[in-house]
Amino acid sequence: MDKIKNDFTGEIINIEKIAKDTCKMDIFSSLKQAYAGQFISILCPNKTLRRPFSISNLDNNIITILFKLKGEGTEYLAGLEKKDKVKFLAPLGHGFQIKNKKALLVGAGIGIAPMLFLKKNLEKEHIENYFITGFKSKDETIEGSDETVIGGSVLDNLENIIKEKNIEIIYSCGPVPVLKGVCEISEKHNIDCQVAMEKVMACSIGVCRGCVINLKKNNEIIRASVCKDGPVFEGKEILWD
Amino acid sequence: MGLDKLRTTLKNKEHILELKTPIIGASGTYGYNDEFEDFVDFNYFGAISTKGMTLEKRLGNDGERIFEVQGGMINRIGLENVGIEAFVKEKLPVLKSKKIDFILNIAGNTIEDYKQIAHIAQQNDIKAIEVNVSCPNVKTGCLEFGLNSEGLFGLTKEVRKEYDGFLIVKLSPNTSDIKLLAKAVEDAGADAISAVNTLRGLGIKIDFDGEKFYKKSVKGGLSGPCIKPVALYMVEEIRSAVNIPIIGMGGISKLVDLFEFISAGADAFQIGTANFINPSICSDLAYELDDFMVKNNFKDFEELKRKIREA
Repeated sequence: MDKIKNDFTGEIINIEKIAKDTCKMDIFSSLKQAYAGQFISILCPNKTLRRPFSISNLDNNIITILFKLKGEGTEYLAGLEKKDKVKFLAPLGHGFQIKNKKALLVGAGIGIAPMLFLKKNLEKEHIENYFITGFKSKDETIEGSDETVIGGSVLDNLENIIKEKNIEIIYSCGPVPVLKGVCEISEKHNIDCQVAMEKVMACSIGVCRGCVINLKKNNEIIRASVCKDGPVFEGKEILWD
Repeated sequence: MGLDKLRTTLKNKEHILELKTPIIGASGTYGYNDEFEDFVDFNYFGAISTKGMTLEKRLGNDGERIFEVQGGMINRIGLENVGIEAFVKEKLPVLKSKKIDFILNIAGNTIEDYKQIAHIAQQNDIKAIEVNVSCPNVKTGCLEFGLNSEGLFGLTKEVRKEYDGFLIVKLSPNTSDIKLLAKAVEDAGADAISAVNTLRGLGIKIDFDGEKFYKKSVKGGLSGPCIKPVALYMVEEIRSAVNIPIIGMGGISKLVDLFEFISAGADAFQIGTANFINPSICSDLAYELDDFMVKNNFKDFEELKRKIREA
Protein backbone atom coordinates (compact mmCIF):
# COMPACT_ATOMS: atom_id res chain seq x y z
CA MET A 1 0.00 0.00 0.00
CA ASP A 2 1.25 3.47 -0.82
CA LYS A 3 2.47 5.48 2.10
CA ILE A 4 1.29 9.00 2.68
CA LYS A 5 3.84 11.36 1.20
CA ASN A 6 3.95 13.68 4.20
CA ASP A 7 3.99 11.06 6.95
CA PHE A 8 7.33 10.66 8.74
CA THR A 9 8.78 8.73 11.61
CA GLY A 10 11.78 10.40 13.19
CA GLU A 11 14.20 9.64 15.99
CA ILE A 12 14.84 12.09 18.77
CA ILE A 13 18.54 12.80 18.83
CA ASN A 14 18.44 15.52 21.44
CA ILE A 15 15.91 16.88 23.89
CA GLU A 16 16.74 19.50 26.46
CA LYS A 17 15.22 22.17 28.64
CA ILE A 18 16.37 25.55 27.36
CA ALA A 19 14.30 27.92 29.53
CA LYS A 20 11.52 27.85 32.10
CA ASP A 21 8.88 25.36 30.91
CA THR A 22 10.51 25.38 27.48
CA CYS A 23 12.08 22.47 25.60
CA LYS A 24 14.08 22.06 22.45
CA MET A 25 13.82 18.82 20.50
CA ASP A 26 15.97 17.68 17.58
CA ILE A 27 14.45 14.99 15.40
CA PHE A 28 16.30 13.04 12.73
CA SER A 29 14.12 11.92 9.83
CA SER A 30 14.06 11.67 6.06
CA LEU A 31 12.57 15.17 5.75
CA LYS A 32 15.11 17.21 3.84
CA GLN A 33 13.46 20.48 3.02
CA ALA A 34 11.04 22.94 4.59
CA TYR A 35 10.51 26.67 4.65
CA ALA A 36 10.54 28.96 7.65
CA GLY A 37 6.98 29.30 8.89
CA GLN A 38 6.02 25.76 7.96
CA PHE A 39 5.26 23.33 10.75
CA ILE A 40 5.15 19.68 11.70
CA SER A 41 2.25 17.94 13.41
CA ILE A 42 3.31 15.34 15.94
CA LEU A 43 1.28 12.38 17.08
CA CYS A 44 0.94 12.29 20.87
CA PRO A 45 -0.49 8.83 21.57
CA ASN A 46 -2.13 9.87 24.82
CA LYS A 47 -4.13 12.63 23.13
CA THR A 48 -6.91 12.66 20.54
CA LEU A 49 -5.31 15.25 18.31
CA ARG A 50 -1.84 15.86 16.93
CA ARG A 51 0.19 18.82 18.15
CA PRO A 52 1.53 21.38 15.65
CA PHE A 53 5.01 22.92 16.08
CA SER A 54 6.81 25.48 13.96
CA ILE A 55 10.03 24.28 12.43
CA SER A 56 12.79 26.19 14.17
CA ASN A 57 15.59 24.72 12.10
CA LEU A 58 16.18 22.02 9.51
CA ASP A 59 19.70 21.01 8.73
CA ASN A 60 21.09 17.67 7.52
CA ASN A 61 17.73 15.95 8.05
CA ILE A 62 17.49 17.21 11.62
CA ILE A 63 14.36 19.16 12.47
CA THR A 64 14.47 21.38 15.53
CA ILE A 65 11.31 22.38 17.35
CA LEU A 66 10.86 24.48 20.47
CA PHE A 67 7.87 24.10 22.72
CA LYS A 68 6.37 25.39 25.91
CA LEU A 69 4.86 22.96 28.38
CA LYS A 70 1.21 23.80 28.11
CA GLY A 71 -0.70 20.59 28.73
CA GLU A 72 -0.76 16.84 28.35
CA GLY A 73 0.45 16.85 24.73
CA THR A 74 3.59 18.85 25.36
CA GLU A 75 4.19 17.08 28.68
CA TYR A 76 4.16 13.79 26.81
CA LEU A 77 6.75 15.14 24.37
CA ALA A 78 8.89 16.57 27.16
CA GLY A 79 8.94 13.12 28.74
CA LEU A 80 10.44 11.51 25.64
CA GLU A 81 14.12 10.66 25.54
CA LYS A 82 16.93 10.37 23.04
CA LYS A 83 16.37 7.50 20.58
CA ASP A 84 12.59 7.57 21.14
CA LYS A 85 10.59 7.72 17.93
CA VAL A 86 8.01 10.33 16.99
CA LYS A 87 5.52 10.21 14.15
CA PHE A 88 4.65 13.42 12.41
CA LEU A 89 3.22 14.99 9.27
CA ALA A 90 5.51 17.48 7.56
CA PRO A 91 6.22 19.95 6.15
CA LEU A 92 2.80 21.53 6.53
CA GLY A 93 1.32 24.88 5.55
CA HIS A 94 2.75 27.87 3.76
CA GLY A 95 5.75 29.61 5.26
CA PHE A 96 7.18 33.12 4.99
CA GLN A 97 7.66 34.51 1.49
CA ILE A 98 11.19 35.84 1.69
CA LYS A 99 11.53 39.24 0.00
CA ASN A 100 14.77 40.94 -0.85
CA LYS A 101 13.98 43.77 1.55
CA LYS A 102 15.56 45.00 4.73
CA ALA A 103 13.76 42.95 7.34
CA LEU A 104 12.66 43.28 10.93
CA LEU A 105 11.91 39.98 12.65
CA VAL A 106 9.65 40.10 15.69
CA GLY A 107 9.26 37.00 17.86
CA ALA A 108 7.22 37.06 21.04
CA GLY A 109 7.54 34.21 23.53
CA ILE A 110 7.70 30.79 21.94
CA GLY A 111 6.93 32.62 18.69
CA ILE A 112 10.69 32.93 18.40
CA ALA A 113 10.78 29.36 17.00
CA PRO A 114 10.03 29.97 13.29
CA MET A 115 11.84 33.32 13.38
CA LEU A 116 15.15 31.62 14.18
CA PHE A 117 14.73 29.51 11.04
CA LEU A 118 13.71 32.56 9.03
CA LYS A 119 16.73 34.55 10.21
CA LYS A 120 19.02 31.76 9.11
CA ASN A 121 17.38 31.67 5.67
CA LEU A 122 17.58 35.45 5.29
CA GLU A 123 21.25 35.34 6.12
CA LYS A 124 21.87 32.58 3.62
CA GLU A 125 20.46 34.96 1.02
CA HIS A 126 22.48 37.90 2.42
CA ILE A 127 19.35 39.87 3.25
CA GLU A 128 19.94 42.48 5.92
CA ASN A 129 17.82 41.93 9.01
CA TYR A 130 17.28 42.84 12.63
CA PHE A 131 15.72 40.39 15.07
CA ILE A 132 13.88 41.45 18.22
CA THR A 133 12.27 39.09 20.69
CA GLY A 134 10.18 39.56 23.81
CA PHE A 135 9.68 37.33 26.86
CA LYS A 136 7.61 37.63 30.02
CA SER A 137 10.58 37.01 32.32
CA LYS A 138 14.32 36.42 32.25
CA ASP A 139 14.03 32.71 32.99
CA GLU A 140 11.78 32.24 29.95
CA THR A 141 14.22 33.89 27.57
CA ILE A 142 15.43 32.00 24.52
CA GLU A 143 18.58 33.24 22.80
CA GLY A 144 19.20 33.96 19.16
CA SER A 145 17.99 37.52 18.57
CA ASP A 146 19.75 40.87 18.23
CA GLU A 147 17.66 42.48 20.95
CA THR A 148 15.57 41.00 23.76
CA VAL A 149 12.80 42.73 25.65
CA ILE A 150 12.11 41.19 29.04
CA GLY A 151 8.90 41.97 30.89
CA GLY A 152 7.76 44.86 28.67
CA SER A 153 6.15 44.79 25.24
CA VAL A 154 8.17 43.87 22.21
CA LEU A 155 6.07 46.42 20.32
CA ASP A 156 7.31 49.48 22.24
CA ASN A 157 10.52 50.04 20.33
CA LEU A 158 9.42 48.83 16.89
CA GLU A 159 8.72 52.25 15.41
CA ASN A 160 12.17 53.52 16.35
CA ILE A 161 13.82 50.46 14.86
CA ILE A 162 11.83 50.84 11.64
CA LYS A 163 12.98 54.45 11.27
CA GLU A 164 16.57 53.96 12.40
CA LYS A 165 17.22 50.91 10.28
CA ASN A 166 15.05 51.79 7.29
CA ILE A 167 13.08 48.59 7.65
CA GLU A 168 11.10 47.58 4.55
CA ILE A 169 9.33 44.45 5.76
CA ILE A 170 8.34 42.88 9.08
CA TYR A 171 8.02 39.16 9.73
CA SER A 172 6.50 38.12 13.02
CA CYS A 173 5.24 35.26 15.16
CA GLY A 174 3.73 35.38 18.62
CA PRO A 175 0.43 35.80 20.44
CA VAL A 176 -2.46 37.58 18.71
CA PRO A 177 -2.11 40.95 20.54
CA VAL A 178 1.53 41.17 19.43
CA LEU A 179 0.76 40.19 15.83
CA LYS A 180 -2.10 42.65 15.69
CA GLY A 181 0.19 45.38 17.03
CA VAL A 182 2.89 44.50 14.51
CA CYS A 183 0.36 44.70 11.68
CA GLU A 184 -0.89 48.11 12.86
CA ILE A 185 2.62 49.49 13.10
CA SER A 186 3.58 48.18 9.65
CA GLU A 187 0.44 49.70 8.19
CA LYS A 188 1.21 53.04 9.80
CA HIS A 189 4.69 53.00 8.27
CA ASN A 190 3.40 51.58 5.01
CA ILE A 191 5.70 48.59 4.98
CA ASP A 192 5.00 44.94 4.17
CA CYS A 193 4.23 42.57 6.96
CA GLN A 194 3.89 38.78 7.18
CA VAL A 195 2.72 37.10 10.36
CA ALA A 196 2.58 33.44 11.42
CA MET A 197 -0.71 32.68 13.16
CA GLU A 198 -1.60 30.01 15.67
CA LYS A 199 -4.95 28.36 16.29
CA VAL A 200 -6.18 25.10 17.80
CA MET A 201 -6.09 22.56 14.97
CA ALA A 202 -7.75 19.22 14.46
CA CYS A 203 -6.55 17.78 11.14
CA SER A 204 -3.58 20.11 10.42
CA ILE A 205 -3.90 19.49 6.67
CA GLY A 206 -6.77 21.78 5.67
CA VAL A 207 -9.73 19.42 5.61
CA CYS A 208 -11.63 19.97 8.82
CA ARG A 209 -11.93 23.78 8.71
CA GLY A 210 -11.35 23.86 12.45
CA CYS A 211 -8.61 26.50 12.50
CA VAL A 212 -9.95 29.21 10.24
CA ILE A 213 -9.41 32.95 10.52
CA ASN A 214 -11.03 35.75 8.56
CA LEU A 215 -9.19 37.42 5.71
CA LYS A 216 -10.27 40.33 3.59
CA LYS A 217 -9.47 39.91 -0.08
CA ASN A 218 -10.93 42.11 -2.82
CA ASN A 219 -13.47 43.48 -0.34
CA GLU A 220 -14.78 40.03 0.41
CA ILE A 221 -14.47 38.20 3.72
CA ILE A 222 -13.03 34.76 3.27
CA ARG A 223 -12.22 32.01 5.75
CA ALA A 224 -8.66 30.79 5.54
CA SER A 225 -7.32 27.80 7.40
CA VAL A 226 -4.25 28.49 9.50
CA CYS A 227 -2.92 24.98 8.84
CA LYS A 228 -3.10 24.95 5.05
CA ASP A 229 -3.60 28.49 3.74
CA GLY A 230 -1.28 29.75 6.49
CA PRO A 231 0.16 29.71 9.07
CA VAL A 232 1.83 32.75 7.46
CA PHE A 233 -0.47 35.46 6.14
CA GLU A 234 -0.04 38.93 4.72
CA GLY A 235 -0.66 41.19 7.71
CA LYS A 236 -2.89 43.60 5.82
CA GLU A 237 -5.30 40.83 4.82
CA ILE A 238 -6.10 39.64 8.33
CA LEU A 239 -9.39 40.66 9.92
CA TRP A 240 -8.73 40.66 13.65
CA ASP A 241 -11.55 39.58 16.00
CA MET B 1 -5.86 -3.13 -5.87
CA GLY B 2 -6.41 -6.48 -4.30
CA LEU B 3 -9.32 -5.86 -2.00
CA ASP B 4 -11.95 -7.85 -3.87
CA LYS B 5 -13.23 -9.43 -0.69
CA LEU B 6 -14.26 -6.06 0.60
CA ARG B 7 -16.77 -5.27 -2.13
CA THR B 8 -19.91 -4.11 -0.41
CA THR B 9 -23.39 -3.69 -1.79
CA LEU B 10 -25.91 -1.58 0.06
CA LYS B 11 -29.35 -2.39 -1.28
CA ASN B 12 -32.90 -1.26 -0.71
CA LYS B 13 -35.39 -2.52 -3.32
CA GLU B 14 -34.26 -1.18 -6.69
CA HIS B 15 -31.73 1.26 -5.18
CA ILE B 16 -28.23 -0.09 -4.96
CA LEU B 17 -24.95 1.46 -3.85
CA GLU B 18 -21.86 -0.49 -4.83
CA LEU B 19 -18.79 0.24 -2.73
CA LYS B 20 -15.21 -0.90 -3.33
CA THR B 21 -14.88 -1.34 0.43
CA PRO B 22 -17.27 -0.78 3.35
CA ILE B 23 -15.06 2.06 4.64
CA ILE B 24 -16.41 5.54 3.99
CA GLY B 25 -14.75 8.82 4.96
CA ALA B 26 -17.28 10.74 7.08
CA SER B 27 -18.60 14.12 6.09
CA GLY B 28 -16.43 17.00 7.20
CA THR B 29 -13.23 15.02 7.36
CA TYR B 30 -12.22 15.23 3.69
CA GLY B 31 -13.52 18.56 2.52
CA TYR B 32 -14.63 18.06 -1.05
CA ASN B 33 -12.25 15.18 -1.55
CA ASP B 34 -10.59 16.79 -4.52
CA GLU B 35 -7.19 17.83 -3.25
CA PHE B 36 -5.85 15.38 -0.71
CA GLU B 37 -4.00 12.78 -2.72
CA ASP B 38 -0.85 13.74 -0.84
CA PHE B 39 -2.39 12.35 2.29
CA VAL B 40 -4.72 9.55 1.28
CA ASP B 41 -5.09 6.80 -1.27
CA PHE B 42 -8.70 6.94 -2.41
CA ASN B 43 -8.45 3.49 -3.98
CA TYR B 44 -9.11 1.91 -0.63
CA PHE B 45 -12.15 3.99 0.19
CA GLY B 46 -15.65 2.75 -0.41
CA ALA B 47 -16.59 6.39 -0.79
CA ILE B 48 -16.14 9.72 0.83
CA SER B 49 -19.01 11.72 2.14
CA THR B 50 -18.48 15.35 1.18
CA LYS B 51 -18.57 18.32 3.46
CA GLY B 52 -22.21 19.18 4.23
CA MET B 53 -23.45 21.20 1.25
CA THR B 54 -26.07 23.88 1.57
CA LEU B 55 -27.90 25.79 -1.12
CA GLU B 56 -25.98 28.97 -0.48
CA LYS B 57 -22.34 29.33 0.48
CA ARG B 58 -21.83 29.36 4.27
CA LEU B 59 -18.95 30.87 6.22
CA GLY B 60 -19.55 28.72 9.30
CA ASN B 61 -19.00 29.86 12.86
CA ASP B 62 -16.66 32.56 14.11
CA GLY B 63 -14.33 32.00 17.04
CA GLU B 64 -12.78 28.80 18.32
CA ARG B 65 -14.10 25.78 16.47
CA ILE B 66 -12.19 22.90 18.02
CA PHE B 67 -11.90 21.72 21.60
CA GLU B 68 -10.06 18.57 22.53
CA VAL B 69 -11.47 16.38 25.30
CA GLN B 70 -10.45 13.06 26.80
CA GLY B 71 -10.93 10.51 24.06
CA GLY B 72 -12.43 12.88 21.57
CA MET B 73 -13.06 16.39 20.41
CA ILE B 74 -15.83 18.94 20.17
CA ASN B 75 -16.29 20.89 16.96
CA ARG B 76 -18.44 23.82 16.03
CA ILE B 77 -17.50 24.36 12.39
CA GLY B 78 -21.07 25.33 11.52
CA LEU B 79 -21.39 23.81 8.04
CA GLU B 80 -18.86 26.04 6.32
CA ASN B 81 -19.12 25.15 2.62
CA VAL B 82 -18.89 26.60 -0.86
CA GLY B 83 -22.59 26.12 -1.68
CA ILE B 84 -24.08 23.54 -4.04
CA GLU B 85 -23.71 25.70 -7.15
CA ALA B 86 -19.96 26.14 -6.70
CA PHE B 87 -19.67 22.48 -5.81
CA VAL B 88 -21.30 21.42 -9.06
CA LYS B 89 -19.24 23.88 -11.09
CA GLU B 90 -15.82 23.53 -9.47
CA LYS B 91 -15.61 20.37 -7.40
CA LEU B 92 -17.81 17.86 -9.20
CA PRO B 93 -15.78 17.83 -12.45
CA VAL B 94 -12.62 17.13 -10.43
CA LEU B 95 -14.25 14.27 -8.52
CA LYS B 96 -15.58 12.81 -11.74
CA SER B 97 -12.33 13.13 -13.65
CA LYS B 98 -10.38 11.55 -10.80
CA LYS B 99 -13.04 8.85 -10.48
CA ILE B 100 -13.36 9.42 -6.74
CA ASP B 101 -16.44 7.70 -5.34
CA PHE B 102 -18.33 10.12 -3.17
CA ILE B 103 -21.60 10.64 -1.38
CA LEU B 104 -22.98 14.16 -1.46
CA ASN B 105 -23.81 15.24 2.09
CA ILE B 106 -26.55 17.87 2.10
CA ALA B 107 -28.02 20.21 4.71
CA GLY B 108 -30.52 23.02 4.75
CA ASN B 109 -32.67 25.38 6.75
CA THR B 110 -36.00 24.52 5.13
CA ILE B 111 -37.53 21.52 3.37
CA GLU B 112 -37.37 23.60 0.21
CA ASP B 113 -33.55 23.89 0.57
CA TYR B 114 -33.17 20.13 0.83
CA LYS B 115 -35.51 19.58 -2.13
CA GLN B 116 -33.58 21.96 -4.32
CA ILE B 117 -30.22 20.39 -3.50
CA ALA B 118 -31.65 16.89 -4.02
CA HIS B 119 -32.97 18.06 -7.39
CA ILE B 120 -29.53 19.37 -8.34
CA ALA B 121 -28.00 16.03 -7.25
CA GLN B 122 -30.51 14.22 -9.46
CA GLN B 123 -29.78 16.45 -12.45
CA ASN B 124 -26.05 15.91 -12.06
CA ASP B 125 -26.33 12.16 -11.82
CA ILE B 126 -24.88 12.00 -8.33
CA LYS B 127 -25.04 8.35 -7.26
CA ALA B 128 -25.71 8.81 -3.56
CA ILE B 129 -26.68 11.56 -1.16
CA GLU B 130 -26.58 11.66 2.61
CA VAL B 131 -29.13 13.95 4.17
CA ASN B 132 -27.74 15.68 7.24
CA VAL B 133 -30.74 16.28 9.44
CA SER B 134 -28.81 16.58 12.61
CA CYS B 135 -25.98 19.09 12.56
CA PRO B 136 -25.68 20.23 16.18
CA ASN B 137 -23.87 23.40 15.16
CA VAL B 138 -26.51 25.40 13.42
CA LYS B 139 -29.23 27.06 15.39
CA THR B 140 -32.16 26.55 13.07
CA GLY B 141 -33.10 24.18 10.34
CA CYS B 142 -31.65 20.74 10.10
CA LEU B 143 -31.44 20.21 13.83
CA GLU B 144 -35.20 20.53 14.17
CA PHE B 145 -35.91 18.02 11.43
CA GLY B 146 -33.51 15.58 12.95
CA LEU B 147 -35.14 15.36 16.33
CA ASN B 148 -38.77 14.93 15.39
CA SER B 149 -40.06 11.82 13.61
CA GLU B 150 -42.92 13.59 11.82
CA GLY B 151 -40.66 16.34 10.53
CA LEU B 152 -38.08 13.80 9.50
CA PHE B 153 -40.67 11.68 7.69
CA GLY B 154 -41.89 14.71 5.75
CA LEU B 155 -38.41 15.87 4.88
CA THR B 156 -37.24 12.44 3.72
CA LYS B 157 -40.37 11.97 1.63
CA GLU B 158 -39.91 15.30 -0.13
CA VAL B 159 -36.23 14.58 -0.83
CA ARG B 160 -37.18 11.13 -2.13
CA LYS B 161 -39.58 12.70 -4.66
CA GLU B 162 -36.75 14.79 -6.08
CA TYR B 163 -34.03 12.21 -6.04
CA ASP B 164 -33.90 8.72 -7.49
CA GLY B 165 -30.36 7.74 -6.51
CA PHE B 166 -29.24 6.08 -3.29
CA LEU B 167 -30.71 8.10 -0.43
CA ILE B 168 -29.04 7.94 2.97
CA VAL B 169 -30.34 9.83 5.99
CA LYS B 170 -27.86 10.61 8.77
CA LEU B 171 -29.41 10.46 12.21
CA SER B 172 -28.65 12.35 15.36
CA PRO B 173 -27.98 10.58 18.64
CA ASN B 174 -29.39 13.59 20.47
CA THR B 175 -32.82 12.07 20.82
CA SER B 176 -34.76 10.06 23.35
CA ASP B 177 -35.94 7.42 20.88
CA ILE B 178 -33.84 6.85 17.80
CA LYS B 179 -36.01 3.91 16.76
CA LEU B 180 -38.90 6.24 15.97
CA LEU B 181 -36.65 8.41 13.80
CA ALA B 182 -35.20 5.39 12.02
CA LYS B 183 -38.63 3.98 11.28
CA ALA B 184 -39.86 7.35 9.99
CA VAL B 185 -36.88 7.55 7.63
CA GLU B 186 -37.41 4.01 6.34
CA ASP B 187 -41.15 4.55 5.88
CA ALA B 188 -40.48 7.74 3.93
CA GLY B 189 -38.39 5.85 1.40
CA ALA B 190 -34.76 6.25 2.49
CA ASP B 191 -32.40 3.54 1.23
CA ALA B 192 -30.04 3.54 4.20
CA ILE B 193 -29.39 5.20 7.53
CA SER B 194 -26.06 6.50 8.65
CA ALA B 195 -25.65 6.83 12.39
CA VAL B 196 -24.63 8.55 14.42
CA ASN B 197 -23.82 12.18 13.95
CA THR B 198 -21.96 13.95 16.75
CA LEU B 199 -23.33 14.18 20.27
CA ARG B 200 -24.01 17.53 21.82
CA GLY B 201 -21.13 18.45 24.06
CA LEU B 202 -19.63 21.30 26.04
CA GLY B 203 -15.92 21.60 26.62
CA ILE B 204 -14.76 23.93 29.37
CA LYS B 205 -11.19 24.74 30.31
CA ILE B 206 -10.48 26.76 33.44
CA ASP B 207 -6.99 28.17 33.99
CA PHE B 208 -5.79 29.88 37.15
CA ASP B 209 -2.79 32.18 37.10
CA GLY B 210 -2.49 32.62 40.86
CA GLU B 211 -4.91 35.54 40.96
CA LYS B 212 -7.64 35.07 38.46
CA PHE B 213 -9.54 32.30 36.68
CA TYR B 214 -9.69 32.21 32.88
CA LYS B 215 -12.33 30.30 30.99
CA LYS B 216 -12.33 28.86 27.50
CA SER B 217 -15.32 26.94 26.28
CA VAL B 218 -16.66 25.41 23.11
CA LYS B 219 -20.16 24.04 22.70
CA GLY B 220 -20.74 21.78 19.72
CA GLY B 221 -20.61 18.23 18.43
CA LEU B 222 -18.66 15.63 20.35
CA SER B 223 -16.89 12.93 18.33
CA GLY B 224 -14.07 10.43 18.65
CA PRO B 225 -13.52 7.17 20.53
CA CYS B 226 -15.36 8.44 23.61
CA ILE B 227 -18.72 8.30 21.80
CA LYS B 228 -18.37 4.74 20.52
CA PRO B 229 -20.53 3.04 23.20
CA VAL B 230 -23.33 5.53 22.52
CA ALA B 231 -23.00 5.00 18.77
CA LEU B 232 -23.06 1.20 19.14
CA TYR B 233 -26.16 1.43 21.28
CA MET B 234 -27.87 3.64 18.72
CA VAL B 235 -26.93 1.38 15.79
CA GLU B 236 -28.33 -1.64 17.62
CA GLU B 237 -31.54 0.25 18.39
CA ILE B 238 -31.88 1.27 14.74
CA ARG B 239 -31.20 -2.31 13.59
CA SER B 240 -34.06 -3.52 15.74
CA ALA B 241 -36.42 -1.02 14.11
CA VAL B 242 -35.61 -1.10 10.38
CA ASN B 243 -34.54 -3.41 7.57
CA ILE B 244 -32.63 -0.97 5.38
CA PRO B 245 -28.80 -0.93 5.49
CA ILE B 246 -27.03 0.97 8.27
CA ILE B 247 -23.77 2.80 7.87
CA GLY B 248 -22.34 2.83 11.39
CA MET B 249 -20.08 5.49 12.76
CA GLY B 250 -18.94 7.06 15.99
CA GLY B 251 -15.43 6.66 17.34
CA ILE B 252 -14.16 4.04 14.90
CA SER B 253 -10.37 3.96 14.83
CA LYS B 254 -9.32 0.31 14.72
CA LEU B 255 -10.21 -3.04 13.20
CA VAL B 256 -12.10 -4.42 16.21
CA ASP B 257 -14.29 -1.32 16.17
CA LEU B 258 -15.54 -2.43 12.76
CA PHE B 259 -16.43 -5.85 14.18
CA GLU B 260 -18.30 -4.23 17.04
CA PHE B 261 -20.30 -2.06 14.67
CA ILE B 262 -21.09 -5.10 12.49
CA SER B 263 -22.28 -6.91 15.59
CA ALA B 264 -24.56 -4.01 16.48
CA GLY B 265 -26.03 -4.10 12.98
CA ALA B 266 -23.91 -1.97 10.67
CA ASP B 267 -23.43 -2.92 7.01
CA ALA B 268 -20.75 -0.34 6.23
CA PHE B 269 -18.79 2.23 8.22
CA GLN B 270 -17.86 5.87 8.27
CA ILE B 271 -14.64 7.11 9.79
CA GLY B 272 -14.51 10.68 11.03
CA THR B 273 -12.33 12.01 13.83
CA ALA B 274 -9.73 9.26 13.43
CA ASN B 275 -8.77 10.82 10.08
CA PHE B 276 -7.46 13.85 11.94
CA ILE B 277 -5.00 11.73 13.86
CA ASN B 278 -4.06 9.47 10.97
CA PRO B 279 -5.02 10.78 7.52
CA SER B 280 -4.57 7.30 6.06
CA ILE B 281 -6.80 5.56 8.64
CA CYS B 282 -9.50 4.69 6.08
CA SER B 283 -7.10 2.93 3.73
CA ASP B 284 -5.24 1.39 6.68
CA LEU B 285 -8.48 -0.08 8.03
CA ALA B 286 -9.57 -1.36 4.62
CA TYR B 287 -6.20 -3.01 4.23
CA GLU B 288 -6.30 -4.55 7.72
CA LEU B 289 -9.83 -5.78 7.21
CA ASP B 290 -8.88 -7.41 3.92
CA ASP B 291 -5.80 -8.95 5.49
CA PHE B 292 -7.90 -10.37 8.33
CA MET B 293 -10.37 -11.88 5.88
CA VAL B 294 -7.69 -13.42 3.71
CA LYS B 295 -5.83 -14.92 6.67
CA ASN B 296 -8.98 -16.34 8.19
CA ASN B 297 -10.50 -17.60 4.95
CA PHE B 298 -13.59 -15.45 4.79
CA LYS B 299 -15.12 -15.60 1.33
CA ASP B 300 -16.51 -12.10 1.32
CA PHE B 301 -17.72 -9.26 3.54
CA GLU B 302 -21.23 -10.75 3.76
CA GLU B 303 -19.85 -13.95 5.25
CA LEU B 304 -17.77 -11.99 7.75
CA LYS B 305 -20.84 -10.03 8.85
CA ARG B 306 -22.87 -13.21 9.23
CA LYS B 307 -20.21 -14.93 11.34
CA ILE B 308 -19.75 -11.93 13.60
CA ARG B 309 -23.49 -11.69 14.16
CA GLU B 310 -23.64 -15.37 15.10
CA ALA B 311 -21.36 -14.63 18.06
